[in-house]
Amino acid sequence: MNPQPHILVIDDEPQILRALRTILQAKQFRVTVASRGEEGLNLAATQLPDLIILDLSLPDMDGVVVCERLREWTQVPIIILSVREGEKDKVTALDKGADDYLTKPFGIEELLARIRVALKHSALAKGSTQPIISAGPISIDLVRHIVTRDGDEIKLTGTEFKLLAYLAANAGRVLTHQAILTHVWGSIDADHVEYLRVYMGQLRKKLEGNPEEPHFLLTEPGIGYRLLTND
Amino acid sequence: MAVLKTLWKYGFAILAVFILTGMAWLFKDQLSIQVIALLYLLPVVISARLWGLGPGILAAICAFLTLNYFFIPPLYTLSVHKTQDLLSLIIFLINAVVISQLLGQAQDSLLEAKQREGEATRLYELSTALTGLIDNHLIAQVLAEEIQETFCANRIDIVLKSAASGEGSSLTRPEQALTLVTGKPNLTLPMQTARGELGLIRLWRQDTPLSAQELRLLNIFANQGALAIERIGLTQAENRARVLEESDRLKSSLLSSVSHELRTPLATIKASISSLRSGAVEWNTDARQDLLTAIEEETDHLNQLVGNILDMSRIETGALNPQRRWNSLAEIVHEVLKRMGSSMHSHRIAIEIPSDLPLVPVDYLQLQQVFTNLLSNSAKYAPPGTLIQVKACIESQEMVLVEVSNEGPAVPEEHLEQIFEKFHRVTAADKVTGTGLGLSICKGIVEAHGGRIWAENAPGLFIFKFTLPMKWNGMLPRLPEET
Repeated sequence: MNPQPHILVIDDEPQILRALRTILQAKQFRVTVASRGEEGLNLAATQLPDLIILDLSLPDMDGVVVCERLREWTQVPIIILSVREGEKDKVTALDKGADDYLTKPFGIEELLARIRVALKHSALAKGSTQPIISAGPISIDLVRHIVTRDGDEIKLTGTEFKLLAYLAANAGRVLTHQAILTHVWGSIDADHVEYLRVYMGQLRKKLEGNPEEPHFLLTEPGIGYRLLTND
Repeated sequence: MAVLKTLWKYGFAILAVFILTGMAWLFKDQLSIQVIALLYLLPVVISARLWGLGPGILAAICAFLTLNYFFIPPLYTLSVHKTQDLLSLIIFLINAVVISQLLGQAQDSLLEAKQREGEATRLYELSTALTGLIDNHLIAQVLAEEIQETFCANRIDIVLKSAASGEGSSLTRPEQALTLVTGKPNLTLPMQTARGELGLIRLWRQDTPLSAQELRLLNIFANQGALAIERIGLTQAENRARVLEESDRLKSSLLSSVSHELRTPLATIKASISSLRSGAVEWNTDARQDLLTAIEEETDHLNQLVGNILDMSRIETGALNPQRRWNSLAEIVHEVLKRMGSSMHSHRIAIEIPSDLPLVPVDYLQLQQVFTNLLSNSAKYAPPGTLIQVKACIESQEMVLVEVSNEGPAVPEEHLEQIFEKFHRVTAADKVTGTGLGLSICKGIVEAHGGRIWAENAPGLFIFKFTLPMKWNGMLPRLPEET
């Protein structure tokens, strides 16, 4: 990974831009800022940042549109930072190609953690897929279909493995209910969030220390799920 | 049809005369001319009584001619020889005409009275049907159906003009006439009130034009319709005014509550930051941490306040559409506790939600809000260190019952319902923090989900209880088959 990753922040509020620039620079990131969507798109094309932080309410266009336009040519990780907290806004942005979503106001630790995950994921995506993914004591071998916890093999059903493998292949990213359901059960069952609840419950029982308070198989309220892996 | 019916009446009148002629002919030897003449009054009277003035007079003329032809010598001619016979014939004619006229008039006025009664009944039916309707479209529908039935029209259009745009919605009865009956309407009538023209009635009746009476009745129908529509407009305006007044009241109490509530955390933040910035004091690490924690907590508090205010305005405007999904209550409660973090550390928390509790169809974020508000309310009133419990169980085939209990003070019975009202407080406002919105938001959300929320005092406990439906469109969650 580049020792000084380059982050482009697109947000129309000068206060947020100032705060993020200061904080991110202190954390050894190179920071470019844009306050309009069009400007952001240009900067993204000319400077090729390693990650983009994007607000949804921009003066000239909707952040979702910016997201779509970026996805036409680049797979650069995009983290949405917005005051919109409705499920619909989040799901739309994620479906249009955003990698993550954070609601303002946000804790800076949370943002930094999401940035690290996104950068790592994009670095992985550039190379070949990692065959073994580990999350705490859990290790998932995507090639041999073996899941272990503290070295002991855990028996998973076919569907459970398919679900876990999809989360693992996208480790750290928020996956919407729709995306997971379509991938695991097919598009006909894409509305049956209840399937997911049941299977995530089973996975947590088998893999998490305390299934009630999961540390790795995380719920994104109203949006979907995310597998948190080792940094 | 109507013409044919009238012709029949005249036909019957002539027939009655011929029948009598036939019978009198059979007995003409036994009967004197005077008796036969008297007998001839019978069909005249009957015709006038049964079929009205016109047929009566026709019967009188026919009777006069046949009496003359068949019974007054010289027979089988219309000429009369004796002066006496001529006189009795003329008297007969006058009698017959006068009687039939009298009877016919009585008959006609009876008919008219009946017609009036019919109109009155129709009008009564119409006004009964229109009473209580609260939708312009329904009124147009009822009006169109009544008009169609009353006037046997081929097609009725009712065009309602909306106040804003001028041109409005149109409705046709019977519906299939929209394509079957075309061309220019036979009659167009405005629906007029003091406020102006509210709409139009277009009527197609191709066989007979409307009589003056029908026209009058139709006008009354149109007026009734217009009045009903106007009534709705007035009711709506009144409702709007009431809602505005209510929301005005809400806004002012919200403003006073909120400005107080917002300033408290702002004061803490401002004080902490200015202390940290001022070079006057050298802060040790612990003190710095304390100040920073205070700032962070108060910021979260501010954020929650803003969220509550937004939720309240959504509930007020009815824009709180729960995005139902099958969710696990246990997962929601654990997530809420995780998010609330340190603010719940002052109390012990116990969660008793059976693992086999079915998934419930709820909006994840809204239910999170309910639990957040109930838990923070519990933490606010119950003494630190006491136990807060969250339980859930199946209450009936349809509902799940959730309880959030704390060991706080009992609430007087008379306040138990009111605590879910906006800005209601049991304790004086300046002694507790909060906007007074939290519980009313819970109520709004639970009710939007089709549940009920209430509070109870129990020995040593204060319990919030709410129910949630287990079924979604009558269905329980469908579970996948293992592959």
